[in-house]
Amino acid sequence: MGRKVLVIGAVAAGTKTAAKMKRENPKAEVVVVTKDEYISYAGCGLPYYIGGVIEEKKELVVKTPEDFKLLTGIDVFTKHEAVGVDKALKRVDVKDLSTGEMKHYTYDDLVIATGASPFVPPIEGRDLKGVFPVRTVNDAQAIRELVDQGAVKKAVVIGGGFIGLEVAENLHEKGIEVAIVELVPHILPPFDEEMALYAQNYMVDQGVRIYTSEKVLSLTGEADNVRKVITDQREIEADLVIMSVGVRPNNQLAKEIGLALGPTGAIRVNEYMETSEKNIYAVGDCAENVNLITGQPAWYPMGSTANKMGRIAGINLAKGEKDSLKGVLGTTIVKLFKLNAGKTGLSERDAVKAGFEVETALVPANDRAHYYPGYREIITKLIVDKASHKILGAQVVGEGVVDKPIDIIATAITFGAKVEDLEKLDLAYAPPFSMAMSSTILAANVLSNKLTGRVKGIGPIEMRNRAKELQIIDVRDEGSFMIGTIPGAVNIPSGELYMRAEELDKNKETVLVCKIGKNAYLAYLKLKELGFEQLRILEGGMNAYPFERE
Amino acid sequence: MADIHLNCKGLQCPGPIMQVFKAAKEAVVGDVIHVKVTDRGFTKDIQAWCKKTGHELLELVDGDTEIQAKILRK
Repeated sequence: MGRKVLVIGAVAAGTKTAAKMKRENPKAEVVVVTKDEYISYAGCGLPYYIGGVIEEKKELVVKTPEDFKLLTGIDVFTKHEAVGVDKALKRVDVKDLSTGEMKHYTYDDLVIATGASPFVPPIEGRDLKGVFPVRTVNDAQAIRELVDQGAVKKAVVIGGGFIGLEVAENLHEKGIEVAIVELVPHILPPFDEEMALYAQNYMVDQGVRIYTSEKVLSLTGEADNVRKVITDQREIEADLVIMSVGVRPNNQLAKEIGLALGPTGAIRVNEYMETSEKNIYAVGDCAENVNLITGQPAWYPMGSTANKMGRIAGINLAKGEKDSLKGVLGTTIVKLFKLNAGKTGLSERDAVKAGFEVETALVPANDRAHYYPGYREIITKLIVDKASHKILGAQVVGEGVVDKPIDIIATAITFGAKVEDLEKLDLAYAPPFSMAMSSTILAANVLSNKLTGRVKGIGPIEMRNRAKELQIIDVRDEGSFMIGTIPGAVNIPSGELYMRAEELDKNKETVLVCKIGKNAYLAYLKLKELGFEQLRILEGGMNAYPFERE
Repeated sequence: MADIHLNCKGLQCPGPIMQVFKAAKEAVVGDVIHVKVTDRGFTKDIQAWCKKTGHELLELVDGDTEIQAKILRK
């Protein structure tokens, strides 16, 4: 007789664990219980179901319990909620939500895969009709029905994270007027400010209103239906409100069992997915991760990570050779209309918080050769440790191919690469696929130039904050300058720089500005030759400058 | 009144705006500048530029691989 494994939870990690365990050890008896109606569904696809990009609900559901049983030999009981665990008896008390009946399942090994739930802030009016989180298939279906009935003219999305933004896009594409309210100073909270603002400006250009640094106080309604979102700044009309302020690990059952939680509130597991209790494992969104760079506990509730955790737990449950997951980078990516935004490793903000002294580069480049039709600009921000030159993180945004550079850099970080290693990668090149010097290599080159002191840069944020005290020279052509430049900048096109250098104050801190940073670098070298010492270039040029122009 | 055709495809930095700017300087009132561009920033730039200079943007076609604009010299 094989071992008896009971899995609580049946979305990504739970089903993955169960299936892998059963494949490793076909004699094992594996049972899965879930309080949900659906199993193994594509939670990340819900925004697209709302917008009709994904037509039918069944497309979201990867497998039905019957399919799963047929394929794996594993019984899945849906609408079965685990309500208690007796560790001594190795028994789980399960409530059949259809009948109300209490059932008992015994186990040799228990797997907790209870996932995460949307955090709904305790504000007045959150129980009104038309207010939804977006976590389950049922949430998405209810929202879509309202949208398809034409009952929604104005929607407010509370929270500018990935899900909120994706829902905003999908609602906007349905012709609904959408506003996003975000508590922190920019959308995409995990990104650094200048990168997030680039995406934010793009969303605004598409016609989505965005209010940042703004707190939602309450929701008001008429006849039980939501009508207004009241913030600390204004009232916004809404007949649909999406609550997407974030998720929290479902740790209730784990707490009752007495499993140790980590500092993030998720269940603490070691690299084998073992919890603090013998014979109890935890996987997926309810469990904690380790950040591969800092070695510190972190929480990345991502489908990609959940599946990996499930595989590791499945292997280890089979009690053969052990496998482990040392940590993850928190790599993420999102599509917003035609804009893509990806991130891996630490942001500059996180890196500094973790105690690193960092150097960064902000570099616009093309995803393909500039003469190949259909190329798009992407902006790379690269973050390295000044002392070791090891890559700590990157963010890439733009309409072009973003997943490739992010994945290259995620791979590089995983293998401990330094910026010099990144510069020399032999990457696939032909005009339809990349530039001869790919955007990633270019970013590494710029970073390397900064580390070696070949050039000094100023980022967009410092530029905006200190514009008044700096001598700012825009070296672009007159036409480009005319359209918009940094407030206070004067125009000296690079071709006239030698001739007109005497117009400048050598003793003043000077910033050179161009379109993407390259001509500013060339101008920098010219002025350096002429004896200027306090020089810097605006990193990323005007193309990556997300603030007001004049 | 002439039609002036500019092929600015592949131009990035200095970008197509510089070419349009030059052409507009040389053109006379009533001339139409037709420009083809691949630099995506151009759609925003040309609108802003026309606003500043007072030339009229007669047409702006934002295709997937090419942007086309017609500008009336005022």
